[in-house]
Amino acid sequence: MSEIRALIVDDSSVMRKIVERALRQAGLDLEVVHEAGTGSEGLEQLKAHSVDLILSDINMPVMDGLEFLRQIRVQNLASGVPVIMITTESSEEHVKQAIQAGARGYIRKPFTAEQIKERVLPLVRAA
Amino acid sequence: MAVSLRESVQRVSDPRNLDASVEEVFRLMLGIECTCDPGSTIGDKESVTAVVGFGGLLSGACVLRMGARTAMKMVAKMTGMEFGEVDDTVKDGLGEICNMLAGAWKGKVPELSANCGLSIPAVISGRDYCLHVQAPEFQVHHVYRFDEESFEVTIVCDGLQ
Repeated sequence: MSEIRALIVDDSSVMRKIVERALRQAGLDLEVVHEAGTGSEGLEQLKAHSVDLILSDINMPVMDGLEFLRQIRVQNLASGVPVIMITTESSEEHVKQAIQAGARGYIRKPFTAEQIKERVLPLVRAA
Repeated sequence: MAVSLRESVQRVSDPRNLDASVEEVFRLMLGIECTCDPGSTIGDKESVTAVVGFGGLLSGACVLRMGARTAMKMVAKMTGMEFGEVDDTVKDGLGEICNMLAGAWKGKVPELSANCGLSIPAVISGRDYCLHVQAPEFQVHHVYRFDEESFEVTIVCDGLQ
């Protein structure tokens, strides 16, 4: 698998680092990891950089993860790039909303590196 | 049909839900086993408290409290970093642990999972402060231990629809 350019969107800088570490543990060869603390910062990152994979929290200040997903589509950014939500919200309703908004995967916090591997790798390979 | 939990206070306040949530979050994200220890207290005068609010079907908060040394050790376990003070990274990490505890706890009750939102975490640190909630509907409070460290987790419910 070639080197991956990832964007991690989470209002917790600690969680962004943990997700990055989990991606590396899952065997992803990360060329670069861009970070954003809100959905709107995530959009700015997508305007500035091309990425192969996006992981986003849902509960964030300023612009939450679901609105971030909608804006990616509205602004036609990162077309075809898989977006995976990583969040504490785990109800079927939240999963449904995320999928409707354009997410391709959903991982509940707390998570294991194995879950990241199982859910992220197939999407990256397919993309 | 509107969802209601008014008749289910016992199910929502089941203390086993809190224990299971703490066990899950600490095992998966920190790689440590915690034990519930009712006899323990938070000895450190300098303490740190993370709070995540609940809104919707249930209003209230999940409160995670510990001494400064325990806070640094807890976030060190989660991040692999070392800390000499309760800095912004430690506070950020504690907020995230509290967020996961709140999410795991509400996930134990299907009605709450879908109909109760979480606030952005807030973290308070200092000496000799207390958190007071006026006449809660119910409160679940447990003290847990890992290594030689103790921490408290409290679920405060001040309204249930």
